[in-house]
Amino acid sequence: MSFLRNPWGKPRFLVLVTGLYIFWSLIPVALAVLFAFNDGRSRTTWQGFSTRWFTGASGSVFHDPALQGALKHTLFLGVVCVLVATPIGVALALGLQRWRGPGGGTVNTVMLLPLVTPEIVMGVALLLLFLQVLPFVGLGSTAQAIGQVTFTISYVVVIVRGRLVSIGKDYEEAAADLGAPPHDQLLRVLLPLLAPAIVASAAVVFAISLDDFVVTQYLSGDASTTTVSMLLYSSARAAPTPALNALATIALLITLATLGLAYLVYRRFATSDEAAAMAGVEV
Amino acid sequence: MGSRWTWRLLALPGVAWLSVFFLLAFYAVVAVAFGNQNTLSEPVPYWNPLDWNVGYMLATLENIWQGGPFFKVFIRTFVFVAFALSLALLIGYPVAYFAARHAGRWKGLVLLLLILPFWINYLMRMLAWINLLSPDGLGTRFLSTIGIERLFISADLLAAKGGWLEGQPFTVIMALTYGYLPFLILPLYASLDRIDQRQIEAARDLGASPAGAFFRVTLPLSRPGILAGMVLIALPMFGDYYTPDLVSSSTKTSMIGNQIDQLTRQGSSKVEGAALTLVLAVALLGLMFYYLRSTRSADDRAETA
Amino acid sequence: MQGEIHLEELTKQFGDVVAVDGIDVRMPGGEFFTMVGPSGCGKTTTLRMIAGFERPTSGRIVLDDVDVAQVPPHKRNVNTVFQSYALFPHLDVAGNVGFGLKYKRLTKAEHQARVAETLALVQLGDYAKRKPSQLSGGQQQRVALARALVLTPQVLLLDEPLGALDARLRKDLQVELKALQAELGITFVFVTHDQEEALTMSDRVAVMSGGRVEQAGTPREIYEEPATLFVADFLGVSNLIDAEATPDGEACALRVGERTLRGAAGATDARGAVKAMIRPERVLVEAQGAPGENRLPGMVERAVYVGSAHELHVRLVGGGLLKATIRNDGSAFAYEEGTPVTLHLPADALRVLAPAPGASESPELADDRAPE
Repeated sequence: MSFLRNPWGKPRFLVLVTGLYIFWSLIPVALAVLFAFNDGRSRTTWQGFSTRWFTGASGSVFHDPALQGALKHTLFLGVVCVLVATPIGVALALGLQRWRGPGGGTVNTVMLLPLVTPEIVMGVALLLLFLQVLPFVGLGSTAQAIGQVTFTISYVVVIVRGRLVSIGKDYEEAAADLGAPPHDQLLRVLLPLLAPAIVASAAVVFAISLDDFVVTQYLSGDASTTTVSMLLYSSARAAPTPALNALATIALLITLATLGLAYLVYRRFATSDEAAAMAGVEV
Repeated sequence: MGSRWTWRLLALPGVAWLSVFFLLAFYAVVAVAFGNQNTLSEPVPYWNPLDWNVGYMLATLENIWQGGPFFKVFIRTFVFVAFALSLALLIGYPVAYFAARHAGRWKGLVLLLLILPFWINYLMRMLAWINLLSPDGLGTRFLSTIGIERLFISADLLAAKGGWLEGQPFTVIMALTYGYLPFLILPLYASLDRIDQRQIEAARDLGASPAGAFFRVTLPLSRPGILAGMVLIALPMFGDYYTPDLVSSSTKTSMIGNQIDQLTRQGSSKVEGAALTLVLAVALLGLMFYYLRSTRSADDRAETA
Repeated sequence: MQGEIHLEELTKQFGDVVAVDGIDVRMPGGEFFTMVGPSGCGKTTTLRMIAGFERPTSGRIVLDDVDVAQVPPHKRNVNTVFQSYALFPHLDVAGNVGFGLKYKRLTKAEHQARVAETLALVQLGDYAKRKPSQLSGGQQQRVALARALVLTPQVLLLDEPLGALDARLRKDLQVELKALQAELGITFVFVTHDQEEALTMSDRVAVMSGGRVEQAGTPREIYEEPATLFVADFLGVSNLIDAEATPDGEACALRVGERTLRGAAGATDARGAVKAMIRPERVLVEAQGAPGENRLPGMVERAVYVGSAHELHVRLVGGGLLKATIRNDGSAFAYEEGTPVTLHLPADALRVLAPAPGASESPELADDRAPE
């Protein structure tokens, strides 16, 4: 087996395994995306290239009300989730990081629990909450939005808090020293410095919301509250057309675009002040 | 600077939200599980612990115990998860090891490709496999051409009739592995990346062979990462219902999650569903806190390093 | 005089740790006042209490007759230059300098004029539009200074501001800061662990250790007339000698081994086991066997050439080691290693240090620390 042992080169066995894994991991999805552009109704036999399932006259995402509705509803939930979870999460991150005295550890644990709770437990819990405790809200869009916000807050907190720790308290003290009252320390100094992390966490919340399945399904009401994930689930084993692949592809592109954009924003704003922060703070 | 209440005030919306929509929701499960059901089979939650009715909880515990109707599902879930975890580790560790220690110039690209599945909808990834493994799918055709199908049938890994997607435990295990592997690779990568190259060099310097250095230095040092990663994916796997549903949709392969789903969302008996959920949650509680504690100490170690 | 600070029985406790232990310090207005001491002595904590970032456990901080101990930092007319500068990365230099001016209710024109004026003062007039990450360490430090000075505080606090700079830049900035303070006439409270910096820049120094002020006074006072063992040893080289003291009129008879020396400085009425101290530049080196009082025979163990002087490590016949500094005046150097010599310790330079109650670690007679 000497061809595998090369002390100075890369172990070929590992390269092989990694290559195979990446292939196995991504090719199926690539094929699914490919078949979204299939000219025929088959999802398994290539019949030529076409965008009919995206924009075609009948049966495409743009013209099928069920598919369109799901896409719209998914994006709607995504936006609502970002708008609610991000501010709550940022505020919670600030409050937790500066918590003095008892109780902070408990709040911290409660905040982290949704990250490790299996989704079905959350789904059932929220289902029962909206049926037994808050029946005036009941199931539907509102419940779905609330459910998604509940477990995405934790992501915001973790991301923002990481940045808070690296910022430290020097800047706020400097601001106070120069005459800024506490609310100005927050608005004029801390929040601008946190901006890249806030943008990044908003993007993460959006992506997670778009891809969420269990909680969204559990809290759904009538057909108008169907999301892309739910539609994929219910249609997958039926005999759908490539329109389903097209729908999934659109959602995927939106997610990747959002994350890519956020990454660029983060890189541009974080590196310049990270460099300055490092130079100053690491004395 | 600023009173302690200024900052706590900021935390208030988050705390209030989580108290109602997380803690209270969880308590609703408890109250329903220890509750009763009315003549319409709708749950009647008992909020006061003094009123609790242990009937349904006890019944559920009996059900998952030997001889009960859920016993098979219970055992099957464990078996599936165990196989999926082992397969995931077997594949994931070398990949993570490569990415952390040998990727060199390609590290950025490799990491990107490893992170990508995170952001692809889980259901889309399953949909892709359904496409491939359907009776006329590319995957099915490929596997039967190269003889795997015949091999598996003769080795009893695949039931003779029905194809890959009809009640095949093998398919479910593979799907679980496929689905959750990316979530294992990243913690493994992080843990392997953190290992100081100099410790390995020291071992080599003292006479260890490459394999020796791996087994006596790298593997033990990555153990916390391995355990944390396995726990991280085991938790959602235990509650998974959609994966078996998608790639199998047969009661022969149903897991605990399917049982809970049927009882609660599909509505056959929410009380029993809540009870089963509670049993599952308590069983997994230990794992959940283990994971939280292990990430906290890893953070502490990283900070002091 | 404006900008006078009194710290009265100021204490700060962090849990079980007493960082500042009931200190009393007077910082006259318009002076360059330095707090110096080893890490952990409480100097930074004290500074932060004056700035308002820490609330004292007890005691008063009186700024121009007003106790500001409970006043939040943004309301005190005191400004700080941070060790890390803490320049706001998202603002440019002008934005940083003008940050605090927003609270002074100036017109736009006044605001811009003040900023420009202060930037000129620190010689950064052309850098207004740069971002902090584009500046060198020395330039960042000046922006930090400008940002504080533009608000015309009565007191400027500086927390080891020169720590991050290389030696050459440090020396230049020491001179500049001192000149700036003299020109502006406001009180500077400076914190450093570098005793040489403290001596060269200050009008007045407080030497701190373990949360207490060991001694406060002018640089000359604390260097030449150290009150305690710690102060003597912290500043420069101290040459400590263990002796048995007996008062003898206005001086002190110090029995060292078989010899008796006369110590005419310090605690001359001390009795019993004491330490006597003499600075190496006051030790006179004479030929072997020279007669007279306060003479100790010995041999040159090492002669270290430090450019402007020779530092002799002389092993005394009685066993101890003393350091003597001989300035390089161009004449031939007569005291190579191995030369027997006599050390003359002039009585008025030989200082008796009162024994500290419950003595802390006292350095041994063989003081091997190189002069700084």
